[in-house]
Amino acid sequence: MKEPVEIIDGTTGQFVDAELFDEITVEHFLETKKLWRPLVLRASEKLRAQGRQNMLPDYTNWDWTKKEPYLHMLATKFFGITCRKALQGIEVVQTENITGDCQCRLPVQRGKSLLYVDYLQVAPWNIKVLMEPIGEKVEFRGVGSRLMEAAIRFSIEEGFKGRIGLHSLPSSEPFYRNECGMVPVMRDPRKQNLLWFEFTPDQAQAYLGGDI
Amino acid sequence: MRMSRDRSWLLKRAEQEDRHFISVGGLVSRIAAGTSGGERTRLMRAAFLRLLQLARRDKRLTTEQFAEKADIDVAELILIDNTPNYSPTPRTIYKLSSLLKVPSKTLMALAGMVDLKDAQFEEAAVKFAASSEPMDKLTSDEQKTLQGYIKFLSEREK
Repeated sequence: MKEPVEIIDGTTGQFVDAELFDEITVEHFLETKKLWRPLVLRASEKLRAQGRQNMLPDYTNWDWTKKEPYLHMLATKFFGITCRKALQGIEVVQTENITGDCQCRLPVQRGKSLLYVDYLQVAPWNIKVLMEPIGEKVEFRGVGSRLMEAAIRFSIEEGFKGRIGLHSLPSSEPFYRNECGMVPVMRDPRKQNLLWFEFTPDQAQAYLGGDI
Repeated sequence: MRMSRDRSWLLKRAEQEDRHFISVGGLVSRIAAGTSGGERTRLMRAAFLRLLQLARRDKRLTTEQFAEKADIDVAELILIDNTPNYSPTPRTIYKLSSLLKVPSKTLMALAGMVDLKDAQFEEAAVKFAASSEPMDKLTSDEQKTLQGYIKFLSEREK
């Protein structure tokens, strides 16, 4: 699957053509390790030096290459966004798993199936709160929003009506709660007490601005 | 899959995204759990409980009085004390951090709610958890240990 999407050039503010795709390869993982991680570490060092530890992203220790085995799992789907020949964001979603993460926990839809967003990350050069401390502009804006949109549309395609669940990292909770309008349901002791959020079909539709 | 072509929608979403990190971490959590994360969390948790116990005794407060002073629900304080996997609410952590004058993110890490992956922080937590025994009144050594540890925690984000 390859689908054209627009994102926003962070310097000019112009809309630019990008591509949403689902054929992720090991090379994409290696690209994130080679290009993303050094920038995250550089920004983190700067934040630490400025005494802004509370702004440090939660993922400075992640190693994408360890996730490679998940490429071949059934019921796991990957989405990526490329623009100007570089990977701008990546997402892992699941329609079934053995840990119960594809089942709703929110009382109004408890027991129904949902699309589980297992992982979502945007290239560090597209994260404004990471680039500002090192005095740089973001390259592209709206990449994460496009990945969320892809998850919702895939949920609809799979018959889940836009129902989505995810475990937010601590620094990202305000985004899912306040900006996306997802419901914080519970801290999950099985997942390091990460906060579990859900979209109902109505909330997912609202996120898309009614354009389904 | 047909993606939105509505530019005003994209602009609005991009503005919201600009203000935040947006990381989702279920997969990362599973990978981290494959390391010694569980054990680390339990050690942090032990230090967190000991910190609350000693702070309460240092102020000569009952559990109820301590909850009142922190402006938290006494039932939640009891749950924290007695339920190994209980997760305090963010509000409770915030209130406790104000009372103890410790940064809330540091206290969250101590409560096992976030993982700072900081060796110095972990070592200090283990030492602190192992340094005192519950008694009616703090010994001068315990008082010194408590004050020293609170000082260490409070200075982490300065």
